[in-house]
Amino acid sequence: MVERTLTVRARLGLHARAAAKLVRVASGFDSKVELKRVDSGVSADAKSILSVLMLAASRGTSLQASVDGSDEEAAMAAIDELFAQGFGEMEPESAK
Amino acid sequence: MIEQPKEIRFKGLGVSEGIVIGQVLRMHDGLQHVYHWKIGIHDVDAERKRFRAAVDLARRQVMAIKKQAEQRLGKDHAYIFDAHLLLLEDKKLTEDVEQQIAAHHANAEWAVKVVGDRLLSLYSEIKDEYLRERGSDIEDVMQRLVVALTGAEPQPRSLSEDAVVVSQDLLPSAVAELDLEHARALATDTGGWTSHTAILARGIGIPAVVGLRDFYRRTRTGDQIIVDSNRDEVILHPSSATLERYQTETANRIRGRVVTETGVAGPLRTEDGVEVILRANIELPSEFEGVEKYGARGVGLYRSEFLLARRGVIVSEDEQRIAYEDVARVAGDDGVSIRLFDLGGENLREPSQEAEKNPALGLRAIRFGLVNESVMRTQVRAILLAGKSGRLRIVLPMVADVSDVRRAQKIINEELANLNNEGKDVKPVSVGAMIEVPSAVWTADSIAKAVDFFELGTNDLVQYTLAVDRGNDEVADWFRTLHPAVLRSIDQGLKAARNADIPALVCGEMASTPAYVVLLLGLGATELSMTPSAIPRVRRTVAGIDSRVAREIALECLKAETADDVEEVVRERLSRLWYHLFPPASLPAPRQVR
Repeated sequence: MVERTLTVRARLGLHARAAAKLVRVASGFDSKVELKRVDSGVSADAKSILSVLMLAASRGTSLQASVDGSDEEAAMAAIDELFAQGFGEMEPESAK
Repeated sequence: MIEQPKEIRFKGLGVSEGIVIGQVLRMHDGLQHVYHWKIGIHDVDAERKRFRAAVDLARRQVMAIKKQAEQRLGKDHAYIFDAHLLLLEDKKLTEDVEQQIAAHHANAEWAVKVVGDRLLSLYSEIKDEYLRERGSDIEDVMQRLVVALTGAEPQPRSLSEDAVVVSQDLLPSAVAELDLEHARALATDTGGWTSHTAILARGIGIPAVVGLRDFYRRTRTGDQIIVDSNRDEVILHPSSATLERYQTETANRIRGRVVTETGVAGPLRTEDGVEVILRANIELPSEFEGVEKYGARGVGLYRSEFLLARRGVIVSEDEQRIAYEDVARVAGDDGVSIRLFDLGGENLREPSQEAEKNPALGLRAIRFGLVNESVMRTQVRAILLAGKSGRLRIVLPMVADVSDVRRAQKIINEELANLNNEGKDVKPVSVGAMIEVPSAVWTADSIAKAVDFFELGTNDLVQYTLAVDRGNDEVADWFRTLHPAVLRSIDQGLKAARNADIPALVCGEMASTPAYVVLLLGLGATELSMTPSAIPRVRRTVAGIDSRVAREIALECLKAETADDVEEVVRERLSRLWYHLFPPASLPAPRQVR
């Protein structure tokens, strides 16, 4: 099992579109993917959009990702990348 | 005796163009009444199967809707249905429902409702406002399941010819599924400029008035209704006088279209031979076809902020580049002017941040871009890159004076250099300024020396010149497009462009209204940009008038003291000179003395 702490950087948090991307990516792997809110301990199955939406993870939320299975390394890398690029939704932040 | 219902007017927000006279078709927002019954122990398996079949059916429907939405509105607007599909495929959801059926011997409809309500109540507790609002997606899917359980295929809402769809709210899929061939107009209690209803109505080009608050419950299917998106209102049970007035107005529009859709070849000239160029204002991919259909000379104004399907999400450089390449292709040799995001602080505010007290005078348009430089740089890069596949121009919205222009140009030049250093080999593009605030009008001469072209945005120019909020009913009497101050501002802007020998294009509502077009031509405008469907009527106007006479009329209007005086001149001169072009309903109505 591999574990990593990720931060939600998508501007609007894990809303429907971002959650859909995450579920599509996670579902592409055999491993079990779990996300747990660091603050409240609420956890979600990353292959279920309902479950992910219920995390209500707004921007800035820290999530502990645990991936367990035969392709865990690749799955973690893919999920990590998705979080790192903010689900393709750039943050309109000042460049000051 | 049957009482004749009285005419009632409701004010809302017109989110697209046009006027339609028709009959109300009330559309329930889809909430089905769900009954509960107990099923026998032996029926549990059959009930589960029935539920799975309904899920299958619902999935097929959503896939069809998604495809339809992609074609009509583009991929950016169809994403929402991807989430709907995932919800239907979600094991947690289906297992919960099946468990509900098995444990409580509930019929499938009831089980769906129980599970759905539970999810919605969890959702309603979410603190983040934006995430909480997404509960509408869950609601949408649950309703679809209940309908799928009651009867096979979606009831395609076959509408009679002139149905005006009236609803409290339209869920995203309900809008996408509408029988759009026959839906002539939309009127809803809720919604705003960026609601799905609004975006869709603009996309397919039908009139829509939203935010009517308490309207739905006062209507009955079959009631006569006028939806006047141009004047932000709907009229229920119009009186015969009102009807007559509107019938004349719409008849003229239709006639204008028939006459001009044929024979759009060759340059458009006034009777005395002045060439006038008509371009298109567009925002959605579905409007692209109108550019060619109506013979627009390229795109005069591409409102790029509509790339942001929803509040607050900036799309990536790649996605933007693809969108700009698409619009460049549509525009062809005449090119496209891309207005940089005309966003306000209100579009991208953190929920925790305090709202600006006065957003119209706040951090918006070019100011927003200069403060949030990374947003602007991304957009500029995407435009420069897309410039390889067509003729693109950049328009800077709401510049206050030449300093805004210089700051923006510095950023554009830096990104041009960056891209070339990255080996991308991009070419410079023309940069123009929107002249739409008084300070830009007064300093137009210096701005004209710094840019390649002007665009005069008349909607904002009226609002800022007269200090009147267009959306505020209380001051509607003060919103006067034909105010002498507005005309003098336009005159000044056009003169500055002529002196600097740069082109100037007029866009906004004035450019699409025949009576106003006469004044614009009279002030020397030769390039107009408008919503594509308005091109035929403007073409007909331009071809039918003499610019020298228009000049005389315009000069008389410039000297007027009040908007009433200008309107009087327009009414009197136009109806006398060109009665065939300007029947009474097409001219500004005389004001009632209060």
